[in-house]
Amino acid sequence: MSEKVNLNVNGIEIESDPNKLLIEACEDSGIHIPRFCWHKRLDPVGMCRMCLVEVETPRGKMLVPSCTTEVSDEMVVDTESDVVKKAQEGVLEFLLINHPLDCPICDKAGECPLQDQTMAYGPGESRFVEEKRHFEKPINISEIILLDRERCILCARCTRFSDEISGDPLIEFIQRGNKTEVNTFPNEPFKSYFSGNTVQICPVGALTSTSYRFKARPWDLKSTRSTCNGCPTGCSIELNSSQNKMLRILGVDNDAVNQGWMCDKGRYNFEYLNSDSRLKTPLKMMDNKLVEIEIQDVYSELTEFIKDRQTKVNFLLGSNLTNEDYVAFREFSKTISQSESSFYLNDDLLYKGFFGDNIELAKIDDLNSSDAIVVWAEDLKEKLPVLYLRIRQAVKNGVKLIVFGHTNETLSDIADVFYGKDMVSENFEILKDLSKMKEINNLVVGKNITAILGKSTPYQADESITKLFEFLNSNANSKVLNAYSKGNTYGAFQTLENLKGLNDFVNDISKDNTDLLFIVGADPIGRSVYSNQIKSIIKSIDTVVTLDNFNHETSELSDYVVPISSTLGEKEGTFTNIEFRTSRIEKLVPSPGQTVSDWEFITSLMNFAGLKAEANSLEDLNRKAYENLDSSLSPVFDNLDKPSNLDGMINISKPKISTSENKLNKTMFFTGEKLYGDSATERHSDSISMLGSKKFIEVSESVVEKYNLTSGSCTLTQDELEVTVSYEVNNNFPNDLVYIPTNRRELNKFDFSREILIIPTQVKEALNVN
Amino acid sequence: MKETILLTKHMRDNPEDSHLIDSYEKNNGYSTAKKTILESSPEKILEEIKASNIRGRGGAGFPTGVKWGFLAEDEDRYLVINADESEPGTFKDRILLERDPHQLIEGIIITCFSANIKEAFIYIRGEYAKPARRVQQAVEQAYQKGYLGKNIFGSEINLDIVVHLGAGAYICGEETALLNSLEGRRGEPRLKPPYFPAVKGLYMKPTLVNNVETISSVPWIIENGGEEYNKLGVEGSTGTRIFSLSGHVNNPGNYEIEMGSSFGEFVETLGGGIRNNKKVKAYIPGGASAPWFRGDQLDIKMTIDDVANNNSMLGSGAVVMMDEDTNLVSAAKSIVSFFAHESCGQCTPCREGTTWLEMILDRIASGRGRTSDINLLLDVCDNISPGLSWPPKMTTICPLGPSAVSPITSLMNDFRDEVESLIPTKVLL
Amino acid sequence: MSWDDKLLKQAKKIIKLYPQKRSALGPLLHLAQSKDGYISDDSITVISELVGITEVQVKSVSTFYSMYKQEPTGKYLLSVCKSISCEINNSSEVINKVQEFTGLNNNETDEEELFTFEAVECIGACGGAPAVQVNYETVEGVTPENAINLCEWLKETKPDVVVADEMQENFGGIKSFDWAIQDNSGATSTAPGFQTLKTTEVKK
Repeated sequence: MSEKVNLNVNGIEIESDPNKLLIEACEDSGIHIPRFCWHKRLDPVGMCRMCLVEVETPRGKMLVPSCTTEVSDEMVVDTESDVVKKAQEGVLEFLLINHPLDCPICDKAGECPLQDQTMAYGPGESRFVEEKRHFEKPINISEIILLDRERCILCARCTRFSDEISGDPLIEFIQRGNKTEVNTFPNEPFKSYFSGNTVQICPVGALTSTSYRFKARPWDLKSTRSTCNGCPTGCSIELNSSQNKMLRILGVDNDAVNQGWMCDKGRYNFEYLNSDSRLKTPLKMMDNKLVEIEIQDVYSELTEFIKDRQTKVNFLLGSNLTNEDYVAFREFSKTISQSESSFYLNDDLLYKGFFGDNIELAKIDDLNSSDAIVVWAEDLKEKLPVLYLRIRQAVKNGVKLIVFGHTNETLSDIADVFYGKDMVSENFEILKDLSKMKEINNLVVGKNITAILGKSTPYQADESITKLFEFLNSNANSKVLNAYSKGNTYGAFQTLENLKGLNDFVNDISKDNTDLLFIVGADPIGRSVYSNQIKSIIKSIDTVVTLDNFNHETSELSDYVVPISSTLGEKEGTFTNIEFRTSRIEKLVPSPGQTVSDWEFITSLMNFAGLKAEANSLEDLNRKAYENLDSSLSPVFDNLDKPSNLDGMINISKPKISTSENKLNKTMFFTGEKLYGDSATERHSDSISMLGSKKFIEVSESVVEKYNLTSGSCTLTQDELEVTVSYEVNNNFPNDLVYIPTNRRELNKFDFSREILIIPTQVKEALNVN
Repeated sequence: MKETILLTKHMRDNPEDSHLIDSYEKNNGYSTAKKTILESSPEKILEEIKASNIRGRGGAGFPTGVKWGFLAEDEDRYLVINADESEPGTFKDRILLERDPHQLIEGIIITCFSANIKEAFIYIRGEYAKPARRVQQAVEQAYQKGYLGKNIFGSEINLDIVVHLGAGAYICGEETALLNSLEGRRGEPRLKPPYFPAVKGLYMKPTLVNNVETISSVPWIIENGGEEYNKLGVEGSTGTRIFSLSGHVNNPGNYEIEMGSSFGEFVETLGGGIRNNKKVKAYIPGGASAPWFRGDQLDIKMTIDDVANNNSMLGSGAVVMMDEDTNLVSAAKSIVSFFAHESCGQCTPCREGTTWLEMILDRIASGRGRTSDINLLLDVCDNISPGLSWPPKMTTICPLGPSAVSPITSLMNDFRDEVESLIPTKVLL
Repeated sequence: MSWDDKLLKQAKKIIKLYPQKRSALGPLLHLAQSKDGYISDDSITVISELVGITEVQVKSVSTFYSMYKQEPTGKYLLSVCKSISCEINNSSEVINKVQEFTGLNNNETDEEELFTFEAVECIGACGGAPAVQVNYETVEGVTPENAINLCEWLKETKPDVVVADEMQENFGGIKSFDWAIQDNSGATSTAPGFQTLKTTEVKK
């Protein structure tokens, strides 16, 4: 079946894989057939009828939609005959009779398929003299998406996306025939994590985003391809700017990774770049106040600490650094320190993971070719959203899905087996003997599986997940995708040694072993579950230097704050994703004020201190990052910039993680993060700033009863800390379990190893009155 | 000309209680099903159906035996009875449902036996409440007697029937739209390929979709043999067919006849002629989707092929007579409005085009037409059904859009003067 | 949930009839129609939970079909056919008379919530044109005068069960075929009268 078929299109012989759709086969051979509803990543529906072509059949030439017709050998096709042209003109005239033609004020104008195809294939005039169809002009269908039903041509791309791809069908066709419209249900907005994709694939200006609306004309946009560093999925993206301001991010169809899709956080969490609150000048703590100083002064003052190479220096690094940034810190550390320093990643959940000689690591694409996928990790929809889409895709293609644990309920609706509270305890331990589970024996044992494994919560014992891994590794032909969830974690894996997480940071670091602490792109006080301990450590250390885009709870305690350019669009470098695929981070806009890149800062500091940096340029650092690899296969700029490598290059390496087992005691509370939170960049990105602001907890039914919760909200208290939250019942939780999303300031401030009191709001109010 | 009474025999013989199981059984009802289940084989039944040469009575006229033969193997297969009779002019299934529901159930039992099907659905249009009640009552009676349910007629065979009520959508008469509707979805036709019901039908399982009249004919065919049935009518249009006659005739109604006589003879004899001895101006030979014939074409024979050879279709067997006083522009507008109202909205040409045609016709009918509207009408039609030929070419998924074109091309081909006379030629100052 | 236990029990019974839950969506919408006289947002929420799809998916289906009303209807849904056979048999005059009597435009409901009027497409009574349905109970051969008489009778007697045969006898004329069988069953709401939906009763 792998043999090619030959067909004749417009008198030209072309070759195609069998089972391909005619529209794709033609496209592959450079023959463009106009279309609106057909989209490579969506099931064909053949609705718009724009792609009609003539095919010769035993009954003569027939008009068929090329988006639903598979190629066959010796097929004779005409995509340009008079009949085809007439049909195309007809369809365009039909589409335009009710289209408002408000192109001058439409965001899509200039990059609009309807506009372009009308130019190329349209009749040039309309014979329609009646009243057009009218709808209320744009309606908000969510906090970030607007819908103009008059512009809509009913191609069903958005409705299919939300149904087939993201699995949250909250927009649908309403009414029928000529009255058909796309809409949401009253009071049930299109609150999807993936809604921005519908704006991108809308072939007209019906769906627009609050973020980009009226911001620019497409022909004024500058653009470059880059990689999203929001999570380790590493989606390929296109950055768009106008007048040196970043205005939009689009998904790029990287077949191996994101296939064109993005999550909304990745798409809209760029607006902070243009925020007035960005740090633009270096700050120094003087008399308990951060005051502006010159960057030269920062260099000279820090030089005093490091020039004798006696200072004990440590690093707490965020996940939004490029690989080159990481290398710069590595080189810096080697140069200034006599003893070996540790690199602490800003991650509550860093653990050893599953790497090694006997372990085959999976690629994202392996999901599609597995017999089954086994997931036990943080909630993937919240933490690795586009990987979640790829799992959905694999399941749609028939791959079985086995899901473990309370944190993965968002996959439960498509899972063949969902092992919830009966199987996984409140301690996040598997309760039953896996080898005796019928489903495991049927779907996993002896099969090709991809296991997506990661720790679900800081108090989960490493051992519990190791058990599952070992079972899979010895009973199935398994590949592993380690589900770390923070930005460029894998870049750190590739470039740094002696890596530890925040649990080790609080155990290891004290003023005894640290004179100088660099905190780069991280606000652990504002985000980590170890917030309080980290806060007291930072307070105790002599000199703390923070590098970041914004001031935050951690920088406010620092001695120096250095404004840096953002990895998103303000600097160049490389990024490594969950499958060790390294791809380009590109620069499109200038960074504000006196901001510098992390690597520039640290390299300049070395040079200033006369410590002779070995790598002085970005290219040097880039080469240094991959110096152990065969030069032709390594993801250095020269290789990555080749057109054939735009989707990135895979180089699997074994990370040197030396973190110890977590010690966070188990209480009734377990913590995690939702997609949206209230980090500094999120707070300063208008579109999404409200989406992660709500403070809530999820509780088991038994908690509601036990604490007599009735009003929809309650107060959490511990020592002096008091936070009022709403609560939602989650029936997947074992008894007495409470989930707290810690990517909300205040909520991360509790000491989760001790008891937290839950007080129902009505009781709290009574207390206040007294 | 006389009727040939097969399907309507029981209801005629027992007018007052033909819907009840006792009456049906008294007249040998269910004996064929019982014999089939206990003594026959699926292959034999299929052979008889093939030998009868019966063609589907829903409108498309596809050979039933061939259709059954296409049904793909699968553990789960379904039979769906298309009782969504909604083609304007058609009311023949209504009488079969209302007055002889057990004959349909017996047909279902035999069909399911032949196709190894354990679950059947009768999809009845929502506006047919009374017929649906009769069928539901009959199904319940058949369950009580053990003719449906587990171990029917004491055999090893199980069969369930669910009577499902539609909710007002003509398009659900299209078999794949009907399946979508039965699955609780919008009644939008599916793409063929890949969704041929015989392979990927209800719940993506192989499914037979047959019309009420087709399956109601099964008991007679099995009882009397496919050969006997094949002797009735003419080649290509065997057996009897119930024609629904309406319009300006003295005796509208359902008539069961062998195919082969002319429309003129049918109307003059069984139909009692045109009211007030008027002449026929035009008539519809096979439901609202069919192109019209002129009053001087009454000698066309009522067979599937003869009608097709004259560029129309016998369709659902609905004959509508329009006398010499009929305003054909209004008549055409009524039909176009119907299809515009019933368009599901998937395909651009149908969704936009049918409504546009309705608007133009409305303008012409109310005296606001423009001279250019005639060509516009034809060109819009051409963009829905390229070439305006018969059988229609389509720019759409299903034939609903092109159906709206039929009355307009009829009007323009044969009654253009009538349209032009409505268009004001001079601007009054 | 705004459906009472009785209705929910019936809904669950209907769901059991089908191999897949979603197939019950149509019948459940008929239940919703019989409950409120239209498909309320509330019912959509209930149904979405029963069937396991989103509310907008339910709405998408409900608005596709003309018998699921999007606005509240009166006690009697008057549906006058306007398709071809009725059209050429003077249905427009029947429509005019009914509109005159009720004072309603297409798809409107009067203030007393007694009548909802609609001109509809083919109801399969072409041999008995022009035809009318009241709550989907068919009356054939309705003259303009009898259409008014029918409306008047409904207004005066306000029958709880609308029976086709009774209306046909008093207000009907030529029929598509001989109805033959005595039948006093009818509809009890603006959803079609059907056993499975419990929307039909026999009028005593």
